[in-house]
Amino acid sequence: MKSRTWRFVFFALAILAGFAAGLGYGWAINPVQYRSTGPHTLQIDYQTDYVLMVAELYQAEGDLAMALARLGFLGDTPPLVMMNDAIGFADAQRYAAADLGLMRSLAFAIQQALEGME
Amino acid sequence: MLDDTRETRITPIGPPKRNPWYLLTGAVLGLILGLVYAWLINPVVYGSSTPGTLGEADKDFYRATIAQVYASTGDLDRALLRLTLLEDPDPVYALGAQAQRALAAGRDAEAHALALLASALQGPPEQQKNNTQPSPPQPSPTNLPPGAPTHTLPVPTAAP
Repeated sequence: MKSRTWRFVFFALAILAGFAAGLGYGWAINPVQYRSTGPHTLQIDYQTDYVLMVAELYQAEGDLAMALARLGFLGDTPPLVMMNDAIGFADAQRYAAADLGLMRSLAFAIQQALEGME
Repeated sequence: MLDDTRETRITPIGPPKRNPWYLLTGAVLGLILGLVYAWLINPVVYGSSTPGTLGEADKDFYRATIAQVYASTGDLDRALLRLTLLEDPDPVYALGAQAQRALAAGRDAEAHALALLASALQGPPEQQKNNTQPSPPQPSPTNLPPGAPTHTLPVPTAAP
Protein backbone atom coordinates (compact mmCIF):
# COMPACT_ATOMS: atom_id res chain seq x y z
CA MET A 1 0.00 0.00 0.00
CA LYS A 2 1.13 3.50 -0.61
CA SER A 3 2.36 5.62 2.23
CA ARG A 4 -0.51 8.04 1.74
CA THR A 5 -3.03 5.24 2.14
CA TRP A 6 -1.37 4.08 5.36
CA ARG A 7 -1.61 7.59 6.70
CA PHE A 8 -5.36 7.62 6.12
CA VAL A 9 -5.66 4.26 7.83
CA PHE A 10 -3.73 5.43 10.91
CA PHE A 11 -5.70 8.67 10.96
CA ALA A 12 -8.95 6.71 10.99
CA LEU A 13 -7.63 4.44 13.72
CA ALA A 14 -6.65 7.47 15.79
CA ILE A 15 -10.16 8.88 15.42
CA LEU A 16 -11.63 5.55 16.48
CA ALA A 17 -9.33 5.34 19.50
CA GLY A 18 -10.26 8.88 20.51
CA PHE A 19 -13.97 8.14 20.02
CA ALA A 20 -13.70 5.06 22.21
CA ALA A 21 -11.87 7.03 24.88
CA GLY A 22 -14.53 9.74 24.73
CA LEU A 23 -17.31 7.18 25.12
CA GLY A 24 -15.56 5.55 28.05
CA TYR A 25 -15.08 8.87 29.78
CA GLY A 26 -18.57 10.16 29.00
CA TRP A 27 -20.44 6.99 29.93
CA ALA A 28 -18.39 5.35 32.67
CA ILE A 29 -15.97 7.77 34.29
CA ASN A 30 -17.87 11.03 34.19
CA PRO A 31 -21.42 10.41 32.98
CA VAL A 32 -24.12 13.03 32.79
CA GLN A 33 -25.47 13.78 36.27
CA TYR A 34 -29.18 14.36 36.32
CA ARG A 35 -30.34 16.79 38.97
CA SER A 36 -34.02 16.79 38.07
CA THR A 37 -35.19 13.30 37.32
CA GLY A 38 -38.83 12.45 36.84
CA PRO A 39 -40.87 10.35 39.25
CA HIS A 40 -41.15 7.60 36.63
CA THR A 41 -37.43 6.90 37.12
CA LEU A 42 -37.77 6.18 40.83
CA GLN A 43 -36.56 2.79 42.01
CA ILE A 44 -39.27 0.22 42.56
CA ASP A 45 -38.94 0.43 46.34
CA TYR A 46 -39.55 4.19 46.33
CA GLN A 47 -42.40 3.76 43.87
CA THR A 48 -43.91 1.14 46.15
CA ASP A 49 -43.65 3.43 49.15
CA TYR A 50 -45.35 6.19 47.17
CA VAL A 51 -48.13 3.80 46.18
CA LEU A 52 -48.49 2.93 49.86
CA MET A 53 -48.85 6.62 50.67
CA VAL A 54 -51.59 6.92 48.06
CA ALA A 55 -53.31 3.87 49.53
CA GLU A 56 -53.09 5.36 53.03
CA LEU A 57 -54.67 8.58 51.79
CA TYR A 58 -57.34 6.64 49.93
CA GLN A 59 -58.15 4.80 53.14
CA ALA A 60 -58.60 8.12 54.93
CA GLU A 61 -60.37 10.06 52.18
CA GLY A 62 -62.14 7.41 50.13
CA ASP A 63 -61.62 9.54 47.04
CA LEU A 64 -60.75 7.19 44.17
CA ALA A 65 -60.39 9.96 41.59
CA MET A 66 -57.86 11.72 43.79
CA ALA A 67 -56.01 8.44 44.34
CA LEU A 68 -55.81 7.89 40.58
CA ALA A 69 -54.57 11.44 40.09
CA ARG A 70 -51.89 10.86 42.73
CA LEU A 71 -50.84 7.60 41.05
CA GLY A 72 -50.46 9.57 37.83
CA PHE A 73 -47.48 11.25 39.48
CA LEU A 74 -45.50 8.07 38.83
CA GLY A 75 -45.98 8.18 35.06
CA ASP A 76 -48.15 6.88 32.30
CA THR A 77 -48.24 3.26 33.44
CA PRO A 78 -51.85 2.09 33.89
CA PRO A 79 -52.82 2.42 37.57
CA LEU A 80 -53.75 -1.23 37.97
CA VAL A 81 -50.41 -2.36 36.55
CA MET A 82 -48.68 0.09 38.86
CA MET A 83 -50.61 -1.24 41.83
CA ASN A 84 -49.89 -4.86 40.96
CA ASP A 85 -46.18 -4.14 40.58
CA ALA A 86 -46.11 -2.38 43.92
CA ILE A 87 -48.07 -5.12 45.67
CA GLY A 88 -45.79 -7.76 44.18
CA PHE A 89 -42.71 -5.92 45.42
CA ALA A 90 -44.24 -5.26 48.83
CA ASP A 91 -45.20 -8.90 49.13
CA ALA A 92 -41.69 -10.02 48.24
CA GLN A 93 -40.19 -7.59 50.73
CA ARG A 94 -42.60 -8.73 53.44
CA TYR A 95 -44.28 -5.44 54.06
CA ALA A 96 -46.57 -5.31 57.07
CA ALA A 97 -49.89 -7.04 56.51
CA ALA A 98 -51.75 -3.81 57.23
CA ASP A 99 -49.81 -1.96 54.53
CA LEU A 100 -50.37 -4.77 52.05
CA GLY A 101 -54.05 -4.70 52.92
CA LEU A 102 -54.25 -0.98 52.18
CA MET A 103 -52.64 -1.42 48.79
CA ARG A 104 -54.82 -4.40 47.92
CA SER A 105 -57.87 -2.42 48.93
CA LEU A 106 -56.95 0.40 46.58
CA ALA A 107 -56.13 -2.04 43.78
CA PHE A 108 -59.49 -3.70 44.27
CA ALA A 109 -61.27 -0.32 44.11
CA ILE A 110 -59.44 0.57 40.89
CA GLN A 111 -60.30 -2.80 39.38
CA GLN A 112 -63.96 -2.38 40.33
CA ALA A 113 -64.01 1.07 38.78
CA LEU A 114 -62.42 -0.17 35.57
CA GLU A 115 -64.90 -3.05 35.31
CA GLY A 116 -67.73 -0.60 35.88
CA MET A 117 -66.52 1.51 32.97
CA GLU A 118 -66.49 -1.48 30.58
CA MET B 1 39.73 22.90 -10.35
CA LEU B 2 37.66 24.38 -13.07
CA ASP B 3 34.00 24.95 -12.58
CA ASP B 4 32.93 22.86 -15.50
CA THR B 5 34.75 19.82 -14.21
CA ARG B 6 33.41 19.99 -10.66
CA GLU B 7 31.46 16.93 -9.67
CA THR B 8 28.09 17.65 -8.37
CA ARG B 9 26.55 15.17 -6.03
CA ILE B 10 22.84 14.95 -5.82
CA THR B 11 21.55 13.14 -2.82
CA PRO B 12 18.52 11.12 -3.67
CA ILE B 13 15.40 12.59 -2.14
CA GLY B 14 13.32 9.96 -0.39
CA PRO B 15 9.81 10.30 0.82
CA PRO B 16 9.66 13.26 3.18
CA LYS B 17 9.53 12.23 6.83
CA ARG B 18 6.30 13.59 8.29
CA ASN B 19 5.60 14.25 11.91
CA PRO B 20 2.89 12.09 13.46
CA TRP B 21 0.84 15.13 14.43
CA TYR B 22 -1.98 13.93 12.25
CA LEU B 23 -2.43 10.99 14.63
CA LEU B 24 -2.87 13.35 17.56
CA THR B 25 -5.29 15.40 15.54
CA GLY B 26 -7.33 12.29 14.77
CA ALA B 27 -7.31 11.19 18.41
CA VAL B 28 -8.48 14.61 19.63
CA LEU B 29 -11.15 14.75 16.95
CA GLY B 30 -12.37 11.29 17.94
CA LEU B 31 -12.32 12.23 21.62
CA ILE B 32 -14.48 15.28 20.97
CA LEU B 33 -16.90 13.22 18.87
CA GLY B 34 -17.04 10.56 21.58
CA LEU B 35 -17.79 13.08 24.31
CA VAL B 36 -20.47 14.77 22.23
CA TYR B 37 -22.08 11.39 21.63
CA ALA B 38 -21.80 10.26 25.27
CA TRP B 39 -22.95 13.51 26.87
CA LEU B 40 -25.39 15.01 24.39
CA ILE B 41 -26.63 12.53 21.82
CA ASN B 42 -26.88 9.35 23.85
CA PRO B 43 -26.23 10.12 27.53
CA VAL B 44 -26.52 7.65 30.36
CA VAL B 45 -30.17 7.23 31.34
CA TYR B 46 -30.78 6.39 34.96
CA GLY B 47 -33.64 3.98 35.45
CA SER B 48 -33.54 3.86 39.21
CA SER B 49 -33.31 7.20 40.88
CA THR B 50 -34.13 8.29 44.40
CA PRO B 51 -36.63 10.91 45.57
CA GLY B 52 -33.69 13.16 46.39
CA THR B 53 -32.91 13.57 42.68
CA LEU B 54 -36.41 14.68 41.73
CA GLY B 55 -36.98 18.15 40.34
CA GLU B 56 -38.19 20.84 42.70
CA ALA B 57 -41.83 20.66 41.56
CA ASP B 58 -41.89 16.88 41.96
CA LYS B 59 -40.20 17.16 45.34
CA ASP B 60 -42.90 19.58 46.43
CA PHE B 61 -45.60 17.15 45.33
CA TYR B 62 -43.86 14.28 47.13
CA ARG B 63 -43.40 16.38 50.27
CA ALA B 64 -47.05 17.44 50.24
CA THR B 65 -48.13 13.82 49.93
CA ILE B 66 -45.95 12.86 52.91
CA ALA B 67 -47.50 15.68 54.94
CA GLN B 68 -51.04 14.70 53.96
CA VAL B 69 -50.38 11.09 54.93
CA TYR B 70 -49.00 12.27 58.27
CA ALA B 71 -52.07 14.45 58.79
CA SER B 72 -54.33 11.45 58.26
CA THR B 73 -52.31 8.73 60.04
CA GLY B 74 -50.24 10.63 62.60
CA ASP B 75 -47.28 8.33 62.04
CA LEU B 76 -44.37 10.72 62.63
CA ASP B 77 -41.61 8.12 62.41
CA ARG B 78 -42.71 7.03 58.98
CA ALA B 79 -43.13 10.62 57.83
CA LEU B 80 -39.63 11.43 59.05
CA LEU B 81 -38.17 8.45 57.20
CA ARG B 82 -39.93 9.53 54.04
CA LEU B 83 -38.82 13.11 54.38
CA THR B 84 -35.23 11.94 54.74
CA LEU B 85 -35.46 10.47 51.24
CA LEU B 86 -35.90 13.96 49.81
CA GLU B 87 -32.46 14.94 51.17
CA ASP B 88 -33.55 18.44 52.13
CA PRO B 89 -30.79 20.30 53.99
CA ASP B 90 -33.37 21.52 56.50
CA PRO B 91 -36.65 19.57 56.28
CA VAL B 92 -38.48 21.90 58.67
CA TYR B 93 -37.53 24.93 56.62
CA ALA B 94 -38.54 23.14 53.39
CA LEU B 95 -41.90 22.22 54.88
CA GLY B 96 -42.50 25.72 56.23
CA ALA B 97 -41.56 27.43 52.99
CA GLN B 98 -43.76 25.10 50.97
CA ALA B 99 -46.62 25.62 53.41
CA GLN B 100 -46.39 29.35 52.88
CA ARG B 101 -46.38 28.88 49.12
CA ALA B 102 -49.41 26.59 49.35
CA LEU B 103 -51.17 29.11 51.58
CA ALA B 104 -50.47 31.89 49.11
CA ALA B 105 -51.84 29.71 46.30
CA GLY B 106 -55.04 29.09 48.24
CA ARG B 107 -54.40 25.41 49.00
CA ASP B 108 -55.30 25.68 52.65
CA ALA B 109 -55.58 21.96 53.40
CA GLU B 110 -52.16 21.24 51.93
CA ALA B 111 -50.66 24.19 53.78
CA HIS B 112 -52.18 22.99 57.02
CA ALA B 113 -50.80 19.49 56.56
CA LEU B 114 -47.33 20.81 55.75
CA ALA B 115 -47.33 23.16 58.73
CA LEU B 116 -48.59 20.38 60.99
CA LEU B 117 -45.73 18.13 59.98
CA ALA B 118 -43.21 20.95 60.33
CA SER B 119 -44.35 21.70 63.85
CA ALA B 120 -44.36 18.00 64.73
CA LEU B 121 -40.77 17.70 63.52
CA GLN B 122 -39.73 20.60 65.69
CA GLY B 123 -41.06 18.57 68.59
CA PRO B 124 -41.86 19.63 72.12
CA PRO B 125 -39.59 22.20 73.78
CA GLU B 126 -37.93 19.56 75.99
CA GLN B 127 -36.86 17.63 72.93
CA GLN B 128 -35.47 20.75 71.29
CA LYS B 129 -33.32 21.45 74.35
CA ASN B 130 -31.75 18.01 74.08
CA ASN B 131 -31.02 18.49 70.41
CA THR B 132 -27.23 18.68 70.08
CA GLN B 133 -27.23 19.83 66.49
CA PRO B 134 -26.49 23.51 65.98
CA SER B 135 -29.57 25.48 65.14
CA PRO B 136 -29.98 29.01 63.87
CA PRO B 137 -30.82 31.60 66.48
CA GLN B 138 -34.49 31.77 67.19
CA PRO B 139 -36.27 35.08 67.64
CA SER B 140 -36.97 35.81 71.26
CA PRO B 141 -40.59 36.16 72.24
CA THR B 142 -41.75 39.69 72.61
CA ASN B 143 -44.87 41.07 74.13
CA LEU B 144 -46.98 41.97 71.17
CA PRO B 145 -49.81 44.41 71.45
CA PRO B 146 -53.25 42.88 71.17
CA GLY B 147 -54.38 42.50 67.60
CA ALA B 148 -50.88 42.46 66.17
CA PRO B 149 -50.41 39.97 63.30
CA THR B 150 -48.58 36.83 64.30
CA HIS B 151 -46.93 34.09 62.28
CA THR B 152 -49.13 31.10 61.76
CA LEU B 153 -46.45 29.09 60.00
CA PRO B 154 -42.84 28.29 60.96
CA VAL B 155 -40.55 31.20 60.35
CA PRO B 156 -38.14 30.25 57.57
CA THR B 157 -34.51 30.48 58.47
CA ALA B 158 -31.81 31.80 56.21
CA ALA B 159 -30.71 29.37 53.54
CA PRO B 160 -27.14 28.10 53.96
